[in-house]
Formats: sequence, C-alpha cells, structure tokens
Amino acid sequence: MALSDNVILEVKDLKQYFPIKQGMMQRVVGQVKAVDGVSFALREQEVLGLVGESGCGKTTAGRAILRLYDPTAGEVWFRMEDGERVEIARISQREMKPIRREMRMIFQDPFSSLNPRMTVRDIIGEPLVIHKIASGRELEQMVEALMRNVGLDPNYMQRYPHQFSGGQRQRIGLARTLALNPRLIIADEPVSALDVSVQAQVLNLMQELKERLGLTMIFIAHDLSVVEHMCDRIAVMYVGKIVELAEAETLLKRPLHPYAEALISAIPAADPDIKQKRIILTGDIPSPANPPPGCVFHTRCPYARDICKVEAPPLELVEPGHYASCHFAKELHLQGIEVTA
Amino acid sequence: MAQAIDRPIPVAGRQSEERRESYTALVWRKFRKSKIAIVGGLMTIMLISMGTFADFLSPTDPITPNMQSAYTRPQAIYFIDADGTFHLRPFTFTQKQVLDPATFLPNWEPDLTKPYPIYFFVQGYQYKLLGLFPSRLHLYGVEKGGTIFVIGTDKFGRDIWGRVCVGTRISLALSLTAALIIIAIGSTTGIISGYYGGWADNVIQRLIEFLQSFPALALWLALAAVIPITWNQTLIFIAMSAIFALLGWTGLAREIRGKTLALRETDFIMAAKEMGASDRRIIFRHLFPNCLSHIIVVMTLTIPAIILAESFLSFLGIGIQEPLVSWGTMMREAQSLQTLGSNPWLMWPAAFILLAVLGFNFLGDGLRDAADPYSIV
Repeated sequence: MALSDNVILEVKDLKQYFPIKQGMMQRVVGQVKAVDGVSFALREQEVLGLVGESGCGKTTAGRAILRLYDPTAGEVWFRMEDGERVEIARISQREMKPIRREMRMIFQDPFSSLNPRMTVRDIIGEPLVIHKIASGRELEQMVEALMRNVGLDPNYMQRYPHQFSGGQRQRIGLARTLALNPRLIIADEPVSALDVSVQAQVLNLMQELKERLGLTMIFIAHDLSVVEHMCDRIAVMYVGKIVELAEAETLLKRPLHPYAEALISAIPAADPDIKQKRIILTGDIPSPANPPPGCVFHTRCPYARDICKVEAPPLELVEPGHYASCHFAKELHLQGIEVTA
Repeated sequence: MAQAIDRPIPVAGRQSEERRESYTALVWRKFRKSKIAIVGGLMTIMLISMGTFADFLSPTDPITPNMQSAYTRPQAIYFIDADGTFHLRPFTFTQKQVLDPATFLPNWEPDLTKPYPIYFFVQGYQYKLLGLFPSRLHLYGVEKGGTIFVIGTDKFGRDIWGRVCVGTRISLALSLTAALIIIAIGSTTGIISGYYGGWADNVIQRLIEFLQSFPALALWLALAAVIPITWNQTLIFIAMSAIFALLGWTGLAREIRGKTLALRETDFIMAAKEMGASDRRIIFRHLFPNCLSHIIVVMTLTIPAIILAESFLSFLGIGIQEPLVSWGTMMREAQSLQTLGSNPWLMWPAAFILLAVLGFNFLGDGLRDAADPYSIV
C-alpha cells in the first residue's frame, strides 16, 4: 500500500493477545489471539467497514487502535491534524491523552455506555472538562450546540439517560463523541442495539455528520446490509485476521474469499418471494485461543484443499484495490449479490 | 425529520412540564410506597429529635443527682380525679415511700393528698438549646415541690426519661461517627482493590481476611481497656468510634470491591477511559456515585449494629464512662438481678435501643428497595 499523503491511519500487523491464566499462581497457560495480525490503511474521509461474526476480533481491533488495550505487537500510525505522524501502539497512556482528542469511539450499547448517575449535560460535557477546553456557561453553550447537531432538544440537558429512548441515547453518545471535534471515529456497532426504524435515523444522522464535519470512520458491524449502506470499503474479519478487503460494491458483487461469499449469501433480501440460496458453513467458528493451522478458515471452507491445512495464505493484492487471503482467490468464481445504488 | 420524532408530543390543552426526575426524586417516589420504610424513617426522625431536643423534653436536670428521689417508681398520669371529675389538664401524684407492715420492705405509693397538674411549655432548669441558645423552656413540668417521673428514676434520683433522651445523643452520634469512618475506609479500600486489581487487591483481601478472623468482642475489650483514663470525653468518644470502625470496614470493602469489579467492565467506564479520564476521575466521578446507593443502605444498617455493640460494651463497663450518658451506661444500673427485681423500670433504655435498631433496619430495608431505580449493574 503506497503511503499517500491522505492516509490518516495505518495499522501494521496489529496483534492483541490476552493471556489465559490458571491455578493459584496464575500461570499463563495460553493466549486468546483476539487480533492476529491485522493490517490496513485508512484514507481521509473514508468509511471503512469492519465486519465479521461475533468473536472475530473486530471490536477488539477497534479498541486496540484506540489504546483501550495495550497491543501485544504491531504498529498503529496516526496522522495528526498538523500532519505529524505518530505511532500510538507503544506510547504511554499519558502521551496518548492529547491524541485522544482526534480519535474517538462510539459505543454499541446505548443503555450501558452512559453513566446512569450523570445528567446529559455532564455526559456530553465530560470530554470538554477532561481536556480543559471549557467550563461553566461556555461549556453549557458548547453542549447545547452539540445536542442540536445530533438532533436533540437542548432543554433536555438536565435529564438523566434513563429518561431517553435507545435511539436518543445513541445520539447522546454521538454528541459526546463529537465533543472534541475528532477527525477519526471508530463506531463499534453503533446501531446493533436499536430497532430497524431507529437504525435508519441514526445511520442517516451519522452520514450527514460525516459529510458536514469531514470525518473518517471505521464502522464495525456484523450486519452487511448496514455496512453496504454506509461504507466505502469493507474489510471482512475471521478469527482475528482480515480475510478480504475491497471497495464495498466490489466486495459485495464479486467476493474473492469463501467466507465473504458465505456472509454475503446470508444477507436477507427484502423480497419474500425470492428463494435465497444461503451458503451454510459446516462446523463451528474455531476458538481464538486455539486457531487452526494453515488457513484459519479451512475447517469450514467448502473449497479447502491440502495446502490450506498447512500454509496460511497472506492478505495479498489480487485485483486493483482488492485484497484477499486465499490460496485460490484467482481461481474461485464466487457468488456475490446485486448492489442497489 | 429526526427532530420531529425526538421532540415530546405536546398534550392537547396542557403545557408540557419539566417533571423533576432526578435520582433523588426517583428514590423518594419508590421509598414512599413502602409502609415499613416510612415507619422506619419516622422512628429515626423521632429518635434524632429526642437527642437534639433532649433538654427541652426533660422536666428535670438529667445530670445532677437528687438522692431523695432515688429509685422512684414511674408516676401515673390521670385525667379523672377521685370524685370522678374529668380534668382537661392531666395531673399526677408524687410518690412517697412507705414501709410494708408485713415485710418491712419499702414500697412506693402515690401521695393522694396533693395532685400536681401538669403544665406544658414551662420554665425549668437552664440549658443551651442546640448547644448555642440559652433557654429555660421545657415541654412539660409540674410546680415546685412536685415531681414528674414518667418512667421512674435511677439510683441517683435522675429522671430516666430525661437521661434516655440525652443518651440518644451519644448512642446515635457514636454509631454515626463509626459508620462514617467505616464508609470512608471501606469504600476507598474496596474501590481501589476492585479497580486496580493485582497485588494491591491481593494484599487488601488478605488483610480483610485477617481482620475478619479476629474475635470482635475480645479485640474491642482489649482496645477499650488500653484507652488511658486521663483522656477527656471527646477523645474517648473518638477512640470508641475508631475501635468499632476497625473491624467493621471489612464487610463494606468486600461488597464495594464486588460492585467495582462489575462496574469496571461496563461501557461507560470504558468510554471514560477512551476520553482520557484519569484513574482518579473515574473512581470519584463514575465508580463512587454508582456505589453510593449501596453505601447509603449499608450505612443505615451498620448504625444499629454499632448501637448494639456500644450498648453491650458500656453495659460491661468498657468504653463510655460516667458522666457521659448512653443507653448502654444506663443499662449498667440494671445489671444486678436484685436491683432489677425491685426496680424493673430501669429496663426502659432497652426499649429505646430496640426502637432505634428496628427503626434503622426498617429505614435501611426501604432504602435498599428504593435505591438504584435504574441502575445498570
């Protein structure tokens, strides 16, 4: 990947392992390889979707990038507003604090991501207080503006989270995320906990804000139809690794990795008359504490051969802008779906 | 489009009001529903008032001895006199001692020759209301020469009712002080133990186990015996509070640690870290307020435990000494079976201990149900 000037985030071989401890002396007996060598480059104002089933490591990857965990290995390069590139996987939490202003996260669960004992004003204003940006009347004015930005009535400032619906709470979380004018937002399944109708509202809001504020986003989700709507590029993850990375439309029309094909075939069509031919994968997802040798998908792959059991395929460029980690990416003709604009 | 759905739909013909839905308002609303909680609350308020206005409620000086009235039986209050006339103002008779002709043991009999009407809001002995304002006003009393001992007198002729009221101060204040110390130490230790984990958690948990395996009574006896006699009352008071708090904080620390461990994994704590909040901010601004409801409930349940412990120790003669008055020191006079047999009204302080323990327990029960109306964990 050429290092073009407008790359805002570059992740190089990021690994996040969690030790498994046992016994009274807490001996380390194994590692949960939640993120096992993830690499990608993110351009300014791009929305990258990070999809995969539960447990594939997408949330952990997002948190590792934001230094909510200390990465086990790998590099994360972030380009600050002034153009300076900083490596953030190794720095201390204290050095990370000013960088946190530029990269923020939206959380998944609107019910547990807001402190039930704080008013909305305090919740949204907290980042401003922590980074000493404003206080008192000025703080309130900024909170008012943020609330209006996300479509909330500023009169509700003194209320508590339990007085709001799920969609409104997610907006509060969004306002909190945007408080410091970040340039990069990692949205960790922001609409998964909401009703479909409310999902649409929140997604539209996010899209509008992205355009207005020039945001770059990593959109973590497990629902491909949501990701199709929001994202420019999509990366598919499986057991801690990226198995395919391509432009959204290309990936959905012509996937190159069997797992991506299976995921795409599972997207429900909005027509009850269409008989969907779903690819049902045999077996269970392997445990990240004990990933299979060779290609991590070979235990469930309908196209697996002997080489897949021993040699792990690297994530390589198969077509322009389209990466896949499969030995037979060029040969397999996999089924995609028609993408409506 | 989004705004239209988010704004509240106005009810026709009425301005939409901003109802106060603060956390305290929610708790109060739920608290009100439980009758037991209200009863407990009222009992607690009554006790606190007894303590605050002790001198106002007491007709005679509870400290000064009055030997000629020693061990007086409680005086009955009458509304109807010997002729059958109803008086609006109640009256009473002083007691006089007569020797029983058969056994030659002293008996108390009301002296029916002179009824003493009971007056309300009378002038009596001098005291300082709330410790600041000199006053002579008392709730009730009789004219000079008469006595009114509603629950009798003790060995030194002091009105037991007055002393019970004064004793409320020490008993409640001591337990409150000890409870506050327990909360301070217990919650801090619990949060640090739960939040930081690692070796700090290990050390603290082992210390807690060590302290919990101590026999409480033996430790209290030993520590109380060590208190120098030369210390003044305030110091002894503080020392006794500290002694009770010494073993009491471990239970709270364990519970708060559990709560912190659960809270630590919630999204809003992760969100705080993601914003760059310092550990201190997370502990005081996020963890502690979410533990507060639990702490308040534990406090209302710790207070009766310490009241009982203090009464017990004072009954044994350890800790609080004369001239300080507490319910426990009053019970001390009821120790000998013979004294108790002749003067059973000396047991009255036990009723107030019972009232206090029940009242705080009911209050704590109600609070436990009402607190955390919309908590996450």
